[in-house]
Amino acid sequence: MEFLHTYFNLIPVSLAQGAVYAFVALGVMIPFRLLSLPDLTAEGSFPLGGAVAAAMLAGGSGIASAILAALLAGALAGCLTALIHLAFKVTSLLAGIIVLTMLFSINIRVMGKPNTALFSHDTLFTAFLGADGGAPLTQFALLAVLLLIVCGALHWFLLTELGLGLRAVGSNQMMARAHGLSTRAFVIAGLGLAGCLAALGGATMSQYQSYADVNMGVGVLVIGLAGTILGEAILGRDTLLRQIAAPVVGSLFYFQFVAMALSLGFKPSDLKLLTGLFVLAALGAPILKARLDRRAGSPRP
Amino acid sequence: MTDAHGQAGVHVSGLRKTFFPGTVQEKAALNGVDLDLAAGEFAIVIGSNGSGKSTTLNAISGELQLDAGKVVVAGQDMSRLPAHKRARFMARVFQDPMQGTAASLTIEENLAIAARRGTVRGFRMGLKRTERDGFRAALEVLGLGLEDRLSDRVALLSGGQRQSLTLIMATLKAPSLLLLDEHTAALDPRAAELVLDATLQAVKGRSITTLMITHNMDQAITHGDRLIMMHDGRVILNLGRAEKASLTAADLVARFHDVVSDRMLLN
Repeated sequence: MEFLHTYFNLIPVSLAQGAVYAFVALGVMIPFRLLSLPDLTAEGSFPLGGAVAAAMLAGGSGIASAILAALLAGALAGCLTALIHLAFKVTSLLAGIIVLTMLFSINIRVMGKPNTALFSHDTLFTAFLGADGGAPLTQFALLAVLLLIVCGALHWFLLTELGLGLRAVGSNQMMARAHGLSTRAFVIAGLGLAGCLAALGGATMSQYQSYADVNMGVGVLVIGLAGTILGEAILGRDTLLRQIAAPVVGSLFYFQFVAMALSLGFKPSDLKLLTGLFVLAALGAPILKARLDRRAGSPRP
Repeated sequence: MTDAHGQAGVHVSGLRKTFFPGTVQEKAALNGVDLDLAAGEFAIVIGSNGSGKSTTLNAISGELQLDAGKVVVAGQDMSRLPAHKRARFMARVFQDPMQGTAASLTIEENLAIAARRGTVRGFRMGLKRTERDGFRAALEVLGLGLEDRLSDRVALLSGGQRQSLTLIMATLKAPSLLLLDEHTAALDPRAAELVLDATLQAVKGRSITTLMITHNMDQAITHGDRLIMMHDGRVILNLGRAEKASLTAADLVARFHDVVSDRMLLN
C-alpha cells in the first residue's frame, strides 16, 4: 500500500517529465527508425538546446526567440554529425560521439558557465500557466498540446514528397538514388531534423526545471531509445502514425515505470542502470525467444 | 528524341576504370569501353564474370566514379553528374530483387516515388489519391494481383514480385535509358520468365532505349536489336539486328572462344 500511495503521488510529475522527454525520444526515433542510421548526437543537442534557451532567456530574450534559437542550434548539431559522417566516411555513431563531445565545451561557452538558473525569468510555463509555472498536471496538458502540434507537423511532413523521400533513403539508399533522391542531402536534413527535436526537448527541459546544466544530457539517448522501444511494443509500427506516436506514448509509459521504481525504494541514481537493463532486455528478447523456440521446436531423439 | 547533332540515344566512349590502383589487388576493370545505341534500341550485353558488364552499367548510372570516359544520354553529357541527377534520364533494375524497392514503404509509396523520378521534390503530398488508378493499371499488366495490395508493405512480397514491381517502377515514367543488370538471374525460372515478359512488354511497346545484361545465351539471341559481348573490360563483339538474326547459341560460344583465343595469341 505504501508503494501505491507513493506512486499515485508521483503520477502527475512523471507524466510531465515523460512529455518533456518525448521530444528527445522523437529526435532519437528519426535516425534510428526512419533513416536506419544510429546516431547519438541527441546526448549533445539536448543540453545544447537547453543551454541556448536558458542563456537567451537569462539574457532577456523572449520565450519564442529562445526556443527558435535552440531549434536552430540543434539542427546545426545534427547536420554537423551528418556532414562528418558523409565527408570523412566515419560511422554515424562515431561522428555523433565526436559532435556531442565538442558540444560539451560549446554548451559551457554558450552559458558562460556550467549552468544557468531561470528561477527569476519568464518561461514557457510561467507564460501560459501563471507565475508559479503551474501544477504538474496542467504542465502536462500544456506539453501534450505542444507534442500534438509537433507530431502533427512531423506526420504531415513525412507524407510530403520530401518526407517520403526521407523514408525511402532510410529504407534503401540504392533505390533512392535510382529514383533521383540525393541520399546525402536527405541524411543531412534528417539528422538536422532529429537535432531540432532533441534541442526542443532540452529547451523545454531547462524551462520546466528553470535550470540548464551542461550535464543534463547524460543518458538522454538511452531514455529516448527506451521510450521508442516501449512505445513500439505498445503501438507497433505498422503505420506512419504509430511510428510517430510510439516515442511519445513510450516516453510517457517509461516515466511511469521510473516512478514505480522510485516508489519501490530505488534511488534516482539507480535509474540509468535500470534503463540500460530495460533497453538490453528489449533488444535481447527477440533473439532469446528465437533461440528458445528453436530448442522447443527441434525434434527429440 | 532525335536532335540536330545526331545525339539521340546513348553514346558511351572511352570508359576506363582501375580498382585499387597502385596496390597488389590492382585490377583494370574497364579498358576503354565504347558503345552506341540508337534511340529505342534494345541492346543485350553478355560476357563472362569479371568482363566488365556490371561495371559498365554502374559507370553509366553514376554509381561508380570513372577514371576516364564520357556518357551521353539523349544529348546530355552525364559524365559529371552524380547518380541521383542521372536518374532524370535513366532508370535501373538490379540483380538483387531487394535493391530496387524500399521494403519498409508500401507498394503505392514506392510507385509514387518512381512516378516522381526526375522531378524536384517539394512539400506537395508524396502520394495523391488520384494516382492510385494509374498505379493499379500499371500493376495489372503483371497479372500478380499486386494491384489489389497497394497499401501492403513491399517487405511482404516475394523476390519475383519485388523484381516485377521494380520493373514497373523503372518504366512508370519512360526513361531515356533503361539499365537492366541481370535482373532475372536471382529469380526462380517461372518468376524469371514472368519478369522477362514484363520487360519485353514495357520496352517494346514504348521504344525505350535499353541496355540489358544477361548470362542466358538463349535470351541474348532471341531478344533485342543489338548483341554486345564484353571481355577483359572491352567490347569484343557488337552485332546489329541483321548480323544477329542468323546466330545460334553455339555460334555465339564459338565466336567468344575465337575472339578470346585470338586476343590471347596476340598478347
